[in-house]
Amino acid sequence: MKRIGNFSCLITSVLSLLVIFSPQALAQTDVSVQATVSETTIYTGERIQLSIQISGSFNEVSRPSLPSFPDGFRLLSNTPSTSRSYRYINGQSSTSYSYNYQLIAQQKGEYQIPAVSVTIDGEQYATEPIQVSVVDRNESARSAGNQQPDIFLQLEVSDSQPVVGQQIISDVVLYFQDGLEVNSYQPVPGWKAEGFWKEELNNAERPEATSTIINGVRYRRARLLQFALFPTKEGSLEISPYKIIVSVRSAGRSRNDPFSSFFGNLSGNQRQVELQTDPLTLDVQSLPASENNSYFGAVGSFQISREISTKQASEGASIEITTRIRGTGNVPLISKPQYELPEGLEVYEPKETSNLNRNNERINGTKLFTDVVVARSPGDYTIPEQKVSYYDPDKGSYVSQALPALSFKVTPSPNQVASPAGNDAMPVRPVTGLASWTTPASVSLLSYWWFWAGLLVPLCLLVLAYRQKTYYNRMSNDRAFARSRKASETASERLDRAIALSEEGEIKQAYNLLQKAITGFIGDRLNLPEAGLSNEEYIKALDNENIDAELVKNIRMLLDKCASISYAPETTHEYLKSHVGLAESTLEKLKKVL
Amino acid sequence: MAHAQQGPQAVFDEANNLLAQGQINQAISQYQQLENQQKLAGALFLNLGIAYQRIDSLGKAKYYYLKSAKFPETREQAQEALKYVNTQFSHQSAVLPQLPWDRATRWLQDNIGETRLLAIGLILFNLGILLFIATWFFRELPGLIKPLSFSVLGLTVIIIAAAFYTRYVNNRYSTAVMVTQEAVVAERPLEEAALVSRAFEGYTFTVDHKRSKTQPKWSYVRMSNGLYGWIPSKEILVL
Repeated sequence: MKRIGNFSCLITSVLSLLVIFSPQALAQTDVSVQATVSETTIYTGERIQLSIQISGSFNEVSRPSLPSFPDGFRLLSNTPSTSRSYRYINGQSSTSYSYNYQLIAQQKGEYQIPAVSVTIDGEQYATEPIQVSVVDRNESARSAGNQQPDIFLQLEVSDSQPVVGQQIISDVVLYFQDGLEVNSYQPVPGWKAEGFWKEELNNAERPEATSTIINGVRYRRARLLQFALFPTKEGSLEISPYKIIVSVRSAGRSRNDPFSSFFGNLSGNQRQVELQTDPLTLDVQSLPASENNSYFGAVGSFQISREISTKQASEGASIEITTRIRGTGNVPLISKPQYELPEGLEVYEPKETSNLNRNNERINGTKLFTDVVVARSPGDYTIPEQKVSYYDPDKGSYVSQALPALSFKVTPSPNQVASPAGNDAMPVRPVTGLASWTTPASVSLLSYWWFWAGLLVPLCLLVLAYRQKTYYNRMSNDRAFARSRKASETASERLDRAIALSEEGEIKQAYNLLQKAITGFIGDRLNLPEAGLSNEEYIKALDNENIDAELVKNIRMLLDKCASISYAPETTHEYLKSHVGLAESTLEKLKKVL
Repeated sequence: MAHAQQGPQAVFDEANNLLAQGQINQAISQYQQLENQQKLAGALFLNLGIAYQRIDSLGKAKYYYLKSAKFPETREQAQEALKYVNTQFSHQSAVLPQLPWDRATRWLQDNIGETRLLAIGLILFNLGILLFIATWFFRELPGLIKPLSFSVLGLTVIIIAAAFYTRYVNNRYSTAVMVTQEAVVAERPLEEAALVSRAFEGYTFTVDHKRSKTQPKWSYVRMSNGLYGWIPSKEILVL
């Protein structure tokens, strides 16, 4: 029973798979149903064509089920013009149906062409609604009084108030009036969008011109180029004018054929025009405050993963931690999330690679950051779980993601087994043995005694030397000063000689010398003439100096004695010595007062 | 407490034994005890650098090697160790050459020293004064002696001024080493201030103590690449 039951299950499963993966079922997975209109802005009374295009692999398709159109439009015929094509490429067949309906605009206003439903192989499909503007022809004619340019260039952005890092699409759009034919265009290099990271989007299709009405004038509109811009800072940022050189021709074309191709033939009245867009200012909003510091600069929609190159490595070997950020948004501007790495890891500059896809309107791609770390010592290491956040402008909030913890083991390097300290490469060994110990003392230079000694001693020497020099100079140049300074010395010499003469028996000459010693001393001290003065004149000079009377009296007595000794009987040596002693003491006193 | 009663050499020997046995943290603790007691030696700083290098704290290792290089007895080994440790850092800072005046001041500091410079200045001052006095009393001396004495005195003024300026520079500016993994050097001493540069472990700075005094938790630094800014003081060790 059990075995039969299993067999039944197997049969049921195989049949189910056959049903699910039948050619029909497989074909329906890539069916596309799209609705387009020939123009999105038209005058009242004009016609537009509504096209329903069905493509893919399918077997049965119903005619589109038309909705009730808004009051401003009327369906001209329920019977569409149809076309069908069939392709078979690489074993895959595909069919395309096109149903075209004509609608006429009856009233001015903004209208929405509702979704059209189609049944394909029993499945219901619906198109997207389409907005169409209907302009009153007469009102437009009145408002179109001012002159409109026949051709101009415009920069159109998808969002004029993006947040920092959010991608906006910037279209370079050419508008030209009917009657002009654009043959070619050439962008002028050097366009700058300061404050933005810009990427030109790949657009392989030829520009298609559609018709539109601006201020009552019908223009044909063609998107020439498309850029993705990422604001890098907040505030009012200006996009500088974009320039192109357009080759146009102004004749020989059907003026009312909005479906004709964009580029015409090179003939007729051809000229080259340089066009530039107006500068465009965007108000870039700052990102809302992040709850934690896990935001790493990504704006868009991303998937973030982190992996490690190995779970086990030897000491000193490099280990790579790869962070992969994949998604849509400001991929080029993303910076590496910061990780808390355990102690003991040496971190090198991360490598950074990115891969961008510019084929869609939204830049997408992958950015890889590879951290290279080297463990300097063996052990178990764990890089903890890390929360990272990016800002999703569609959601208007931060999206957080946790990157799991990474663990790895580092084993001792076989090359370092011989050295227990693990410092083979280190050229220096610890110093052992006696060390020369010091105790630092930071003292001011001014606190050294020898500084002051070295400074003051020579200065004192200088002062003394100056005084000595001045003395010598005066002794040489000032005779009165020199006599005065030498007076005592001269007097003393004379007195000594007087004693010597007395000892030799020349008493009278000795007294003569004693008189000279006294008068010479007084003359030298008072700067009197050296000869020709009487004793009385010397005494008088002393009186003029207000010398003590007793002292003057002694001098007078000595001088009188010296004068009278020539007439006196012979005197003794002892007698002279007593007079010399008296003279010495008297001159000593006189020296103090003169 | 037992260690406090031991001489510095005994503690040093004990720390060396611990280092040789691989008990690095204990060895560091003992070495730092000596450092805290202001018992300093080139060998102490060299061994501290080696110990920190063994526990992969390369910023501190560099700091102590730089300190050790100031002692003549370990200068050569410290410079070798510095050369090695500098190759181990994950980030290397660009180095802007010093201005000639700064280089001259640094040379005077490292090779002569302010005290010796001052002594030389004083000797020359005495010599200049004696020569000048001699011209007063010994008229038979050559006429060049007087201008020579003035030249010597002029030189003296320059040398003594250089000694005081070198001391001033030495007191105002110090070398510092970044000992944490990464830090921000900011334009102002605030967490949210504009970034000047990022600094990484092992980067050296010149700290301006005069400006840093105004901010207790920040230091005003000149980076090796010539940029100036504020760095949190906890990120660096000042020599």
